[in-house]
Amino acid sequence: MAGMPDAPTPTIAARGLTVRRRADAGMLLVLDAVDIEAVAGTLVDVVGPSGAGKSTLLLALARLLPGAEGALQLEGHPASEIDPRTWRARVAYLPQRSALLPGTVESNLRAPWLLKIRAGIPAPDPAALRAALDRIHLADVALDRDVERLSEGQAARIALLRTVLTKPQVLLLDEPDAALDEASADEVGRLTREFADGGGAVVRVRHHRADGLADRRLRLEAGTLTEVGL
Amino acid sequence: MTPQLAGGVVLIGWPQLLLASAFVLVTGAIALWMQLGVTKDLAIGAARTYVQLLLLGVVLRWAFAADRWWWVVGILAIMTVAAARIILRRAPDAPSGLFLAAVTSMAVTGITVTFAVTGLVIGAEPWYSPRYVIPIAGMVLGNSMTGIALSLERVFADLDSRSDEVLAMSALGATPWEAAHPSVRSALRAGLIPAINSMAAAGIVFIPGMMTGQILAGADPLEATKYQIVVMLMVAAAEVIGAVIAVLMSYKRRFTSDGVFLHKGLREGAKR
Repeated sequence: MAGMPDAPTPTIAARGLTVRRRADAGMLLVLDAVDIEAVAGTLVDVVGPSGAGKSTLLLALARLLPGAEGALQLEGHPASEIDPRTWRARVAYLPQRSALLPGTVESNLRAPWLLKIRAGIPAPDPAALRAALDRIHLADVALDRDVERLSEGQAARIALLRTVLTKPQVLLLDEPDAALDEASADEVGRLTREFADGGGAVVRVRHHRADGLADRRLRLEAGTLTEVGL
Repeated sequence: MTPQLAGGVVLIGWPQLLLASAFVLVTGAIALWMQLGVTKDLAIGAARTYVQLLLLGVVLRWAFAADRWWWVVGILAIMTVAAARIILRRAPDAPSGLFLAAVTSMAVTGITVTFAVTGLVIGAEPWYSPRYVIPIAGMVLGNSMTGIALSLERVFADLDSRSDEVLAMSALGATPWEAAHPSVRSALRAGLIPAINSMAAAGIVFIPGMMTGQILAGADPLEATKYQIVVMLMVAAAEVIGAVIAVLMSYKRRFTSDGVFLHKGLREGAKR
């Protein structure tokens, strides 16, 4: 319609996303032609019962799930035009279980820049890493601390910080605050919202009730996504 | 009883050979009495020892007499394929389709190391001299088989135990090599341990088989020692080369062509 502003191109979009899995009773349709998109600057929550396929949805969006069918696009470009590793560097998936690697806080925060995909891109220096840790209220965590000695809340924040520091366009978060105390969960939520406000797109899977940070809320059940109120 | 000698070797007759079985019978009786549940395996193992080794003796006698390079190469090929099959049986968690990796690693190490020893160190003439090539290939293949099997078993077990870490690495954009590297390192270390232990204990804890055989055959102990040193070093080299080839050729089978790690959940979901 004339005069109407064009809808922004979604940062990430999936059309007809379908995932089947073998189960005891035969083939199970985990995702049944699901459509989902997230535009820059927004945080989309996906909720639903356990086993509904929420993690599967994120893995499919991250191109970390073999056999997923459907059309994926990143800023309007089809997935077929983007190398899978480049896609994963731009569409960052943070798993539900501990994503930290054995070693220190610093080695973890610098790990992404040791990968070939970021060859030639300088890693943040220790001063920048220190400042980043301070910003998420981890001033008491030394860079040389072994990650084995972090609390669950600290580990979750550092894993998220590591992903955010790589400056992806999309964040896919799988229950980032599921096992955290209230203060850590608030901190993770704040960092997530900051990422979206900085122009990123976020798809976040959550079990908890709404925390008021999301711009949209979708419910996944029986393989289908439906919009629910905030 | 005066021992029969042939070229300095004490000959063992059929009665003496059967007498040796008495020890197995005693062991079997103890296993049966203690209900260890291994009596049948022990009997099969003893029978296989008789059949396989006597068959080997016949084949070697015939190969030595024939003295043809193609027979030697044929025997090496059979040994290599048999070793590859044993390797895959010892690594039950390994994905399917690793036969080529196992055969290649065994063939490359077997051929390189065996002919390096027989040609460059021993100076055997002709190059295929069955008396030297077949026994040395047997030692090289047998030992590298152990190292390769350990490495293959370890690389896939380690990848599974690091499943979360591998997924996290892949999600950061890691290549399969970058994500699997710690497991590859751990697997190669595991494969090398038998060779290192064997070198450390040789001459102190045990007298190696080849040296024992040569001494029993009447060789000068110091000369036998030199042979053994060469073989032990070559075997260690064979284990490293074999394990590296086998692991590098196989770890990617836990990843899709898009670099997605096929963790246990995905494999079971696809199999069920």
